[in-house]
Amino acid sequence: MLRFIIRRVVIIIPMLFIVVSLTWGLVRVAPGNFYSGEKKLAPAVEKNLRDKYGLDKPWYVQYRKVLWNIARFDFGDSLKYEGQSVNQILFRALPVSAVLGLSAYLLALLVGITTGTLAALRQNTWIDYASMTLAMLGISIPNFVLGPLLVLVFALTLFWLPPALWQGFPSRSIILPAITLSALYIAYIARLTRSGMLEVMRSDYIRTARAKGLSESQVVWRHGLRGGLLPVVSFSGPALAFLITGTVVVERVFALPGLGNYFINACFNRDEPLIIGIVAFIAVTVLVFNLLVDIAYGFIDPRISY
Amino acid sequence: MTRNSSCAAAALILTLSLISAGCAASAKNQIFFGKTDPPRDNVLRYVSGSEPETLDPQIPDLQNEARIFIALYEGLAEYDPKTGEPVPALAERWEVNKDSSEFVFHLRRTGRFSNGDPITARDFVYTIRRGLSPETASRSASLGHAIKYAQPYNSGGQFVFDPDSKTFLLEKDFAEDEGVTTKSGVAARRPPPPLSSLPVVSVTDEYPPIPENTTPIADTPFHQLMHSAARVVVPGDPKKRNVALDANPKLKAAVAGKKLVPVEAKDIGVEAVDDYTLRISLVKPAPYFISLMPHHFFRVVHQKTIEQFGHAWTDPKHIVTSGCFRMEAWKRYDRIIVARDPMNWDAQNVRLDGIVFYMLADIPTMLNLYKAGELDATYNHTVPPAWLESMATMKDFMDARETATDYYRFNTTKGPTSDVRVRKALNMALDKKALADWRHVQPLIGVTPQGIFPGYPQPQGDVFDPEKARRLLAEAGYRDAGGNFDPAKFSAAEVELITNADGSNIPFAEFNQALWKRSLGITIQIRVMESTTFHAEVAKLDYKGMARTGWGADYMDPFTFLDLYSTPTGNNGTGWWDRRYVELLDEANRTIDHQRRYEILAQAEQMVLDAQPIIPTVVGTTRWMKKPYVKGMYPNPLSLYSWKSVYIERDPAKWDYGVPSMAMSGPSAVAGG
Repeated sequence: MLRFIIRRVVIIIPMLFIVVSLTWGLVRVAPGNFYSGEKKLAPAVEKNLRDKYGLDKPWYVQYRKVLWNIARFDFGDSLKYEGQSVNQILFRALPVSAVLGLSAYLLALLVGITTGTLAALRQNTWIDYASMTLAMLGISIPNFVLGPLLVLVFALTLFWLPPALWQGFPSRSIILPAITLSALYIAYIARLTRSGMLEVMRSDYIRTARAKGLSESQVVWRHGLRGGLLPVVSFSGPALAFLITGTVVVERVFALPGLGNYFINACFNRDEPLIIGIVAFIAVTVLVFNLLVDIAYGFIDPRISY
Repeated sequence: MTRNSSCAAAALILTLSLISAGCAASAKNQIFFGKTDPPRDNVLRYVSGSEPETLDPQIPDLQNEARIFIALYEGLAEYDPKTGEPVPALAERWEVNKDSSEFVFHLRRTGRFSNGDPITARDFVYTIRRGLSPETASRSASLGHAIKYAQPYNSGGQFVFDPDSKTFLLEKDFAEDEGVTTKSGVAARRPPPPLSSLPVVSVTDEYPPIPENTTPIADTPFHQLMHSAARVVVPGDPKKRNVALDANPKLKAAVAGKKLVPVEAKDIGVEAVDDYTLRISLVKPAPYFISLMPHHFFRVVHQKTIEQFGHAWTDPKHIVTSGCFRMEAWKRYDRIIVARDPMNWDAQNVRLDGIVFYMLADIPTMLNLYKAGELDATYNHTVPPAWLESMATMKDFMDARETATDYYRFNTTKGPTSDVRVRKALNMALDKKALADWRHVQPLIGVTPQGIFPGYPQPQGDVFDPEKARRLLAEAGYRDAGGNFDPAKFSAAEVELITNADGSNIPFAEFNQALWKRSLGITIQIRVMESTTFHAEVAKLDYKGMARTGWGADYMDPFTFLDLYSTPTGNNGTGWWDRRYVELLDEANRTIDHQRRYEILAQAEQMVLDAQPIIPTVVGTTRWMKKPYVKGMYPNPLSLYSWKSVYIERDPAKWDYGVPSMAMSGPSAVAGG
């Protein structure tokens, strides 16, 4: 077990190196610069900027600086936002994305597992059909459609909830974005739970459990879910990583100051340190959550051992 | 599978019906868009667009920051709420010398920073020097380049000092112009030096008569220095210096063995004559210079705070401001809250208790917030063309002509568009009336937007004439055996139209594509690019054919549009440049008579229209929303609001039902076009 964990932790380093190098290369290849805009700068002004940020140094010097920064987990200063370091921005934006992501995640688990289990236990009844239809809707309606639709109904017609902006946590402002964000995950989790449960409920050990004379609810809670949720667990690890590290569309539609919003603007602004910082951060988060999922497997499923 | 797709179809129908129900409900019998309950507090809830790069007013150059800077900082002059023209602010009056090459500002004695420190002429000297310093790396620094030695200082230039004679080399001894002829064979005239570079005979002579009850302006050693002949400046970068010197052998010989002295902050033409008198000497006449004073680049900043905290001086903990409002809170990527500053000299005339600027740039989100009554106004261009049909009739829809133009640039350096006949043909073949009607705007007839500058004799470009366009193209070689225009000969691959995807640029391009197809039978390909890529391609003149552009005025003067073509690089983007054009502009700016100056500027504009490096398309229009209870906020042509005049009216009888009247006393009302 320990050896497995160490091996997986060590592999994060080359993975991160590849991700960062690719990102750095792509940002370099993209035309334009953080100061190129509708108005072109006077040559003197442009030169002052290039000197200030060391953009005229040879590429290997700049690349070395990027790697050195990553190694120390200090991503340098943003090019666009004067006097702000990438770390400051990450620490400021992460809580917003994390709170939103966690809310959506919990909502998705709660609703997804419940509907999925119900659908599996009442296979081929109207409950099953209805929940799977809803799940299909959740998968097919993109969140940039769902978000405005919810806003139209709940914020602009019924005036129950604010249409956008971050009012902190907890507040009513988180409800619509969390629902929008969770829809897709509810749908996936419901379908995964259903298929997982269907398979498990037919397996021998469930029959044994029933034969022992356990009540149906005990069979489901104690034995069924434990095995039936394995696909959900492997799905939800990376899902959580993606949810809490910021979601571009939802944060933009609801004007939330999260990582996703920063990320998309950083790309438009060609803010190299910020892009690399956010990408590296997301990469590490995803790798770590994957690792956690693999460890969790060992506890949930007695058949798996490392 | 079938079941699933029918479910999806049902969902789609449900969605669409919901949306249309929502729209129908909002359009029915409503004279305003959404709620009209005034906010509880006397605080305006506004939106500023993307997160500001910084709250240092001297660094960025975009409107999203400008809106906030106007609240936080004050300059010598402020934008008039209705016209955008400069009106006195921290300077209570100013004098301009006879050829607009020197300006004297008399400051108010009551000006205060938010920490109570008095604002003096020295603070303005510091501010302007700082803005032009290469270390500041200001994006707006070129606005200050009109000041004497400012451009060399900003670009790290060097004077040439002769240790033997203890003098600097002077420009007049090494002028490159002499003997040089332009392409057209006309010998270049050397303009006479501006008054600001001639020895001071008498200060009072240089200026128009000053009222008797004001003190005359003192002459000082610095003033005399400014008024001596201009010194030679060579580039600080050795490579560039060699290139420049190789071009001027006489200068090269003279520079050898001399000492190079960097141009420093103290050399630029800004002087505190006394605590409350500021004198600015320019490198050449610039009658529009006063119009630049409200720009945030020239708004005064606090020296001690900046020197103490460096980059962190704009942090809410440290920041010291000079405007009508001071900083309350800055939640990044979310909102900036400002409150009326009791220290401000004019605080009793500031009517709002504060302003909340939300940082968001997504237009539907903005309009949602507006409709739900959480925003009191939006900024310019926030009503998409597709919404116009239902929004334009609302009483809170604001619209007015903007000091902004939309046009297509030609790459005049390569391909078929290097031929002026092709450029003229493509311009004449475009039915701008149809285009403008479709967009609900005015067609642009020249380089400058018509009807904005009262008294300006606006020249008009070629009118829509597809017949002549075909003839010109035939002349340019795209003809069949019979000598008639043959669309098949015109290679669509060589002339394309590039655009970024912002706003309605793509449908706009498609509409024009159809217009060209109709009048010429050729299909101009459209290539859509992400904005940063697009701007890079235009700047390098890499594009083939045409590129979409818009230009918003930096200040209220036709020169802001004409100046684009005074250098071959920079914001020109077409590659077209003509020395005679630059001379005309110089001549205009040296002209004292306002009307005569306009006439010469118009001649210059006609030159651009004749050479056709651009296709003028439409005049900008502001298009934004403002709740009826927000008063004192006008759709002015710059879309920049002096927040002092804005207030919240709680009595519905006094609300604005429609665009508030912008009529000025006198003849400056916007003329038709």
